[in-house]
Amino acid sequence: MRAEASAVAAPPVALELDLDVFDGPFDLLVTLILRDEIDIWEVRVSRIIAEYVLHLADTGEFDLDATSQFVVLVAALLEMKSRLLLEEEVEEELEDLDPDEAAQQLLERLVRYSQYRNAAGGLREAWEAHSARLYRNAPVPAEFLRRRVADGAFAASSLADALAPLLREPPVPDTSHLADLAVSLVKELRRLRLILDDEGEFTFAGVAPRDRLERAVTFFALLELHSSGEARLRQTRHFGDIVVSRITVPAPVTG
Amino acid sequence: MLPLARRLEALLFISPRPIAADRLAEACACSEEEATGALAALRAEYAAGAHGIEVREVAGGFTFAVADDCAEDVRRFTGAERPDELTPALLETLAVVAYLEPVTRAEIAEVRGVSSEYALGALEERGLVEQQGRADTPGTPVLYGTSGRFLKLFGLASRDDLPPLEEFSLGADEVDEIRSRLHANAERRAQ
Repeated sequence: MRAEASAVAAPPVALELDLDVFDGPFDLLVTLILRDEIDIWEVRVSRIIAEYVLHLADTGEFDLDATSQFVVLVAALLEMKSRLLLEEEVEEELEDLDPDEAAQQLLERLVRYSQYRNAAGGLREAWEAHSARLYRNAPVPAEFLRRRVADGAFAASSLADALAPLLREPPVPDTSHLADLAVSLVKELRRLRLILDDEGEFTFAGVAPRDRLERAVTFFALLELHSSGEARLRQTRHFGDIVVSRITVPAPVTG
Repeated sequence: MLPLARRLEALLFISPRPIAADRLAEACACSEEEATGALAALRAEYAAGAHGIEVREVAGGFTFAVADDCAEDVRRFTGAERPDELTPALLETLAVVAYLEPVTRAEIAEVRGVSSEYALGALEERGLVEQQGRADTPGTPVLYGTSGRFLKLFGLASRDDLPPLEEFSLGADEVDEIRSRLHANAERRAQ
């Protein structure tokens, strides 16, 4: 009934359904199921979800509130349905059992359970007799716990011995399984500057390495060139190549 | 009093928790039999009614306890309160844990026929039941068992001190009565 409450409180989910058993808005379907006017057995929840995904793709809008609401309602429907499935199974199991057999099974369980219920009675008696008892539990005063150590029992060198292992340089961890980056940002910046100086203009595709990570470093270097005012970046369309051109600094006037 | 009994008395006086006989023997550098004999003498010395405290065997060892008829005065003085009563559901769950430990949540629910989540949580909170690792079965469920505090509050020296479960079995006549009631029900349903 949580579903019912939230259906009232939350905005409606705008989804038109065209199912075998129902044709109309999703909210209406939920209401009808809750009022027992449509049997949830007949409703294929997976179809509803598929329709909603299509609806999302069609509208191209993602409304977080409406979608959460939809997920809550669909979850409630699934819960109702799974509960029905389980109930059905239990009933079938009972029907399969011969009444005598069922009674025998129940008897065994009851007899077993009664043992523990009676044992609980025994525990209650023990509890009444003993639970109020006060045992010695005061902590021992610290001075009684401390063990006397004779003067000079420890040599001063024992301190050094204790410290020595801490001062030793730990072995360098083996990182051979980690692939080294072939390029560093500094190196890549230097390389791009050289190209920029020689040619005045280049494209990202023309200079970028194959490796994904290395391409990322190259791209980062481009951004660096841009932010430092050394290069202008141009891209004529989305995902298109990037043209990098040198920003010419007016030569200082000499003379 | 025996010299050894006096030494044991000093150990029990200083220890904040029960001490097992073998540890007492170790501390006094004597055999366990000697320690057990001296402990018996010490318990006789502190027999109920003789002193304001007595020697008790509880939770796996020996310790001093306030004599029951002096407990109220001690409570007034220290402000210590009696532990809260246990409800029938808690006692029942505790009985299942105590007799079947280590036991999983599902096994407890199976015996009682109801989910025992709340009861287990409450028993854990009161320090009567504690988690004791995980079962080596699918899902590795948590195993529950009783605690040292459980032994103290129920006046038990050890888990072996629990009365055997068979003592609590139903009598033959009770089983017969349940059986005839169930059969009557089953026939009514069959019709």
